[in-house]
Amino acid sequence: MTAFVKDVDVATKLCQELVAADFGPFFGTPCRSLTPLHAALHGQVGILTVAREENAIGIAAGTSLAGRCPVVLMENPGIGQCVNAIASLVVPYRIPMLLIVGLNELSQEPAQEAKIMGRLTGQLLEGLGIESTELDPVEPVEAQVERVNTIVQRRLQPAALLVPPATFGGRA
Amino acid sequence: MNKTAAIRAIIGATETRPIVFTGGSASAIAQDLSDLPNHFYLNGPLGLASSIGIGVAMETQRTTVVVDGDGSLLMNPVGLITAGTLTSLPIVHIVLDDGVYAFTGGEAIPSRRADLCALARAAGYRRVFSTAKLDEFSALLRSQLVSCSTPVFIRCALIGGDYATPDRLSTDLENHARRFYRHISDPVWLARSA
Repeated sequence: MTAFVKDVDVATKLCQELVAADFGPFFGTPCRSLTPLHAALHGQVGILTVAREENAIGIAAGTSLAGRCPVVLMENPGIGQCVNAIASLVVPYRIPMLLIVGLNELSQEPAQEAKIMGRLTGQLLEGLGIESTELDPVEPVEAQVERVNTIVQRRLQPAALLVPPATFGGRA
Repeated sequence: MNKTAAIRAIIGATETRPIVFTGGSASAIAQDLSDLPNHFYLNGPLGLASSIGIGVAMETQRTTVVVDGDGSLLMNPVGLITAGTLTSLPIVHIVLDDGVYAFTGGEAIPSRRADLCALARAAGYRRVFSTAKLDEFSALLRSQLVSCSTPVFIRCALIGGDYATPDRLSTDLENHARRFYRHISDPVWLARSA
């Protein structure tokens, strides 16, 4: 018998808590820091990979209009791809959904091409009126999911959960 | 047929099934012709009508109609690519092809050499049609709606101008979304349309 029980990793726990809180369906665009969450969702409930972030937002909006509580996974440069979809669809039509945004470039030496979007991600979300919170790997995941759940499923507003690099143990 | 005639035919054939109208003149004409709770009007993001329609069809599993334009389709063809991969999605994707951006002043769409039907086939659509005749379009749409179990693509080649349409939708967008939600989540409608 194994001498210890390994803790459930953060990505798996987040997946479980999102599903338990009735979030879904899930849509994802490529993001290296969210790969473990993508894999966990794929294994548990399925996730549809979409080629472009604003289309993932559009499809999620359709499921939200039908009464679901969709989640879109993307890396932070993707916010730049879907500014207009958020500004002229999600917010003015008040379509609830959760965005999970992988912050790929917060290190002190970010790649040159990623510096500006890294700096703008928070500002864009704030300017778009999307409430966002950063996932803390130390705080219980249940409490953090409950916070975004309050925004999305009780207040019927979009929200963003920001995932710092290496939170899930993958490449940042 | 012109755009108004095509939209009138779509509204008549679609009955209570959900319809997602692309932004610009298609939404404005539809609202002006007959403003019904199964209509979802886009007022902003060109190129997302098919994506929203995909989400509605995925979730309701009811045949969903998308009224797109050639300009909006070319602005973002990813919805077409995505629907093409979802082979059992009940969606009828209609493209009203007039060759111009009608809502912004009639600039020519750079699609003179593009074949939208070939694009749909290449994306994975198995049922692809093109028509320029109103009666043929109306009959085709009605037949496809009855037996829709896979993405259908219909290109309507438009000729002729439309009457002046309102510049903007005369509706509060949040209330509009709630109205559409109430329709497509109504248990009575879901039971009748199963």
